[in-house]
Amino acid sequence: MGPYLKEFWNRRAFAIELSRFGDKAEYLDSKLGKVWLILNPLLLAMVYFLLVTVIRGSASKTSGLSTLAHILIELFTFYFAQNCIGGGALSITAGGRLILNQAFPRALLPLSSSISAFWQFVPTIPVYILVVIVGELFFPKTYIPGLRLTYLWAPFIIICVGITGFGLALIFATLNVYFRDTSKLLTYITRIWLYASPVLWRPDILHGWHQIILYINPLGPTLAATSEVWISGKSPTHLELIGCVGWSFLAMLVGGYFFISRERDFAIRI
Amino acid sequence: MPEELAVRIENLSIRYEVNVDTKRTLKNYIMRASKGEKVRTRTVKAVTDLSLDIPHGSVLGILGANGAGKSTLMRSIAGILPPTEGRITVNGKISTLLALGVGFNPALSGRDNIILGGLASGMTRAEIESKTDEIAAFAALPEGFIDMPVRTYSSGMYGRVAFSVAVNMQPDILLLDEALSAGDASFKEKSFNRMRELCEEARTIVIVSHALQTVIDLCDTAIWMHKGVMVEHGKPQDLVSHYLKFLDVGALPSSFEDM
Repeated sequence: MGPYLKEFWNRRAFAIELSRFGDKAEYLDSKLGKVWLILNPLLLAMVYFLLVTVIRGSASKTSGLSTLAHILIELFTFYFAQNCIGGGALSITAGGRLILNQAFPRALLPLSSSISAFWQFVPTIPVYILVVIVGELFFPKTYIPGLRLTYLWAPFIIICVGITGFGLALIFATLNVYFRDTSKLLTYITRIWLYASPVLWRPDILHGWHQIILYINPLGPTLAATSEVWISGKSPTHLELIGCVGWSFLAMLVGGYFFISRERDFAIRI
Repeated sequence: MPEELAVRIENLSIRYEVNVDTKRTLKNYIMRASKGEKVRTRTVKAVTDLSLDIPHGSVLGILGANGAGKSTLMRSIAGILPPTEGRITVNGKISTLLALGVGFNPALSGRDNIILGGLASGMTRAEIESKTDEIAAFAALPEGFIDMPVRTYSSGMYGRVAFSVAVNMQPDILLLDEALSAGDASFKEKSFNRMRELCEEARTIVIVSHALQTVIDLCDTAIWMHKGVMVEHGKPQDLVSHYLKFLDVGALPSSFEDM
């Protein structure tokens, strides 16, 4: 394991450049390509916002913007994890010829997908801030926290989402080598996962033992902490922090072990 | 391992299982499991009990019909396929060209692809960038093509760039599988010269080729594989004549070009 991790670290530049070049190739011919990365979750958030407010009744002047802001930031964060997992799941089977030609730590391929997912996530933050600023002009009575120290938790939460996403990507990338329909199945899994996560609903509606719904979900604690920081303007609770770190550690441990123990099979099964 | 050896292969066997009659999908797996059926698999013995020493500065040719285990052996030396039994010890940095144009993203320029290929093989970005022009010049790309998308390249240009990347990475051990078919006569001549230069620098080359004359011209020694077993190890000229006799095709000109 030691030499593997050393080699993985030494060749990290490959994962970074693969991600950069991959994005460059993908959006080379599409001027609107990168804009769609933001427009897609933004429009989806609007649709979900309309659905949620229609189901719940009309949005009140005090809660409308905070509901939209909650859906936006949670959806952007969920998409970050989803893109890590979805891109990572395909990275090994899509990198077939590279795998058949060169020996390198294969975990660099899902890592590259996670790096791409991160760079797709970054521009969504200013979009969120812009929507909140503009929204406050129309809904002045809505409470959205201004700039405060609790925002310093945001990078920590984003790192936890990235690590958890990468760990899960390692699991799905391995499964996709053995069962080629895993990536198709993943589309349905992530959709159900989205509804089971605190994206369309606020985590504070759960009380007592119902909170277990948050903690059995690998993205539950990070999404709850996201809501705490961005919407409530508070620091994450101790339980949420333990959940964030615990799921990151567990996803990396299980994903890393599963992937590395099967990695030598990849060249045969591709 | 003695220092004069670049590669030592000891009792190498490689076996793997392939599914016989079903697609590898979760749906099929669940359907079969629910019926209590097992997936039928077949064990492929790709390489069986092969031992070989390859000294530094030598050129080894590998001959054999399709399915003989040549590519599996090459991938095993490169560290891509794990041995089922036995051991491979490698002394030096390996550069490979085992599947033509590997890793090349057709939407990216030749330069970008060269950088990616170099990074994957463990070079730093600065090292590769200092070599990009040399690689482009060796591949004899028309002016400006190095910064054009690879999808605009002809198949010959594509193959020449792949070959040029492999031989210009300063490898200690160069593994080439059917790579010499890239390019025209002039590029082949240049490739031969480059490989001779590598040998003079005490670098080691292992070539898989169906072009028998190439093996005779370039290699110091050769091995002949058949159904995963090393049938013979010796001088290329002797080995080629035994191989042709075995195939029962005679020493026709076509036998020496591409078989």
